[in-house]
Amino acid sequence: MSSKIEAPRPRSIDRSKLSYVSPSAPKDREVPKPRLIDRSDVEYIRPVLTVLEKNVHSPVTPGVVHFPQFKITPTLEKAANKRIAQYPDDQRRSAVLPLLHEVQHRHGFISPESIEWVAEKLGIAAIKVVEVVTFYPGFRQKAPGKLHFRVCRTLSCAMGGSYELMGKLCELTGIDRGSADTHKDPISVSPCGSYSVEYAECLASCGTAPVCLVNDDFHEGVTPEKAESLITQYES
Amino acid sequence: MSDITYLPGKEPHENEHRLIFKNVDRKGWDPKIRTYLAEGGYEMAMKALKMKPQEVIDEVKASGLRGRGGAGFPTGIKWGFIPPNNTKPVYLICNCDESEPGTFKDRYIVHQDPHQLIEGMVISAYAVGAHVAYIYIREEFPEAAIILEKAIADAKKNGFLGKDIQGSGFDLEIYVHRGAAAYICGEETGLIESLEGKRPYPRIKPPYFPAAIGLYMAPTIVNNVESLCHVVHILRMGGEEYIKLGTPRNSGTRIVCVSGDVKNPGYFEIEVGKVTFQELLYDMCGGPKDGRTLKAVIPGGSSSKILRCNETFQIGRGDDAEEMTFWQLPLDFDTLAAAGSMAGSGGVIVMDDTRRMSWILNNITHFYAHESCGQCTPCREGSTWMKKVSDRIEDGKATPSDVQVLEDIAYQIDGKTVCAFGEASAWPVEAMIDKFRDELVGETSDDNDTRSAERIAQEQFLSSVPQ
Ligand SMILES: Cc1cc2nc3c(=O)[nH]c(=O)nc-3n(C[C@H](O)[C@H](O)[C@H](O)COP(=O)(O)O)c2cc1C
Ligand code: SF4
Ligand code: FES
Repeated sequence: MSSKIEAPRPRSIDRSKLSYVSPSAPKDREVPKPRLIDRSDVEYIRPVLTVLEKNVHSPVTPGVVHFPQFKITPTLEKAANKRIAQYPDDQRRSAVLPLLHEVQHRHGFISPESIEWVAEKLGIAAIKVVEVVTFYPGFRQKAPGKLHFRVCRTLSCAMGGSYELMGKLCELTGIDRGSADTHKDPISVSPCGSYSVEYAECLASCGTAPVCLVNDDFHEGVTPEKAESLITQYES
Repeated sequence: MSDITYLPGKEPHENEHRLIFKNVDRKGWDPKIRTYLAEGGYEMAMKALKMKPQEVIDEVKASGLRGRGGAGFPTGIKWGFIPPNNTKPVYLICNCDESEPGTFKDRYIVHQDPHQLIEGMVISAYAVGAHVAYIYIREEFPEAAIILEKAIADAKKNGFLGKDIQGSGFDLEIYVHRGAAAYICGEETGLIESLEGKRPYPRIKPPYFPAAIGLYMAPTIVNNVESLCHVVHILRMGGEEYIKLGTPRNSGTRIVCVSGDVKNPGYFEIEVGKVTFQELLYDMCGGPKDGRTLKAVIPGGSSSKILRCNETFQIGRGDDAEEMTFWQLPLDFDTLAAAGSMAGSGGVIVMDDTRRMSWILNNITHFYAHESCGQCTPCREGSTWMKKVSDRIEDGKATPSDVQVLEDIAYQIDGKTVCAFGEASAWPVEAMIDKFRDELVGETSDDNDTRSAERIAQEQFLSSVPQ
């Protein structure tokens, strides 16, 4: 190999002969029409496309059928106002977490419209709500299953067999966690949409390990052998 | 429906001294206000409202009560830090974000005896001059949040909360604020940020000591659930009497939570420093499971440094120095600090000889890597690196020098971060390597290749290019 490499000389362009193309397109050229996608067979979950919807990640999962679409109802407004009243008048922003809980409790997950609603309700920029939603593991932006299992994976529970419990739950509900990037997306939903699983950190009941939360219900001493009865208990 | 097995009628162990947990698992007890009032509930709140706030603070100071949330800071002294010429409103926050791995005491208080907490908060709020108080409860206690809100409504109906409590002229409102599953919300300044509706990035101290600049930049007192409950009993017994419980400088009772490899894990309320590890783990918890021996113990939540069961310690200085085996150590703040660990939040996690330390270490580093808030670089990057290196050790792909790398990372985090989470994540790793270095090195091999796949491909390519 030769050690001497010739550097390319910069080409000088003579721009004096260039005439500028006018920005408006010439009449004779055909302007391409925007392609219309036929969405008639797509089931819409959110008919209004908001600014946030384009920017906030909120993928559709099979679990979405179990949760009513986000809607501003008088009961939601009333619950929200009650929460807002807990904080000083000039500190409405404090109600971000309570309001998001109200939404998630009713609708299963935090959708872009609900973020805009919370922001509007509190008189803050939507990004301030988004930053909260994306930080806390307790808020999710996609629908979980109808039964959402949160298995504690921290030390005492892991010693008691919580990893095996998770394996068993996945096996019984048909969830494939092996291929999932659980760091980016901790929740795995079963294809049928009825179940979802997630690891939680210490649920503060280490003495009765392993423990797990099913939606809002707490279960202690759930050894892997009890996984099946845990699921069937909810099916009746 | 939850299937929580409260153990009504389970007798406390004879070594226990129950104050806070008096009603936990008691036969015929329920969390209703009627039950609480029938046993002299809210009498201490009424007594406090007839005293001067400073007298209440003095009583708590005299009791020597130390915070039960983790740091062990004297509660009365903390209350005294509110600036005397303060004109802003003062806030009281109850830290019910119990998320330190191994700790499970606040859960039982809020589920089974919520009025004890509310009474403690009324007294504390009166002492520090707060008219609004918040209970910051972790999101994973949804039922407890409902129980507390019901209890608050009941207390209000009975005139123990709200305007002009029992004609004393003192107003207090308590609100429940639910977190959202982030461990860092337990750190008091992170908690305050979270309560303000932001990401829970802890604030730097100084200047942001909550007692001076806290919630909404106003003086704020943050106390653990158990600490606030102790206030009720201090008023009942009087500070002078309370300090006789436990040992000097480590007064009162505290709840220790034992989990892991013992026959009967559970919670025990003991006089601080009156029970040794021998008594706790053998007499009260039934010892190791059959055919096993105990290997190591984490004494105060996963952030405290691990202790080996066959260790001996020099406790005390100079002439007073005393040699103690692990089994002789009493569970109090000062002895555990002298043994190089801490009493922390009272979560004792026990491991027996079937446990591989690389696996334990791996589990702990995963917790801290997940929970770092990411605000400062040593903690954010360091906790993730520690996780990756410990993954490698656990997978059997590490070289002996990786153990050294892990130790170096831990010491680079320790003391260089905004909040104490840095230490909390580094200490377990430092201690684990210090105490079990041989075992960890034994899981590594000089033959292992720790280069990444990209690096190997790159090196192969470079060696294939003719020079
Ligand atoms: C990373 C970290 C996590 C913490 N988690 C908790 C917790 O879950 N519960 C708690 O009461 N205190 C927790 N603390 C301690 C609090 O910062 C604070 O010291 C305590 O609430 C003060 O209450 P006390 O004086 O009654 O102990 C934590 C501290 C740190 C650094
Ligand atoms: S030490 Fe860790 S948890 Fe604490 S502020 Fe820094 S990054 Fe956040
Ligand atoms: S480790 Fe699972 S509840 Fe604490």
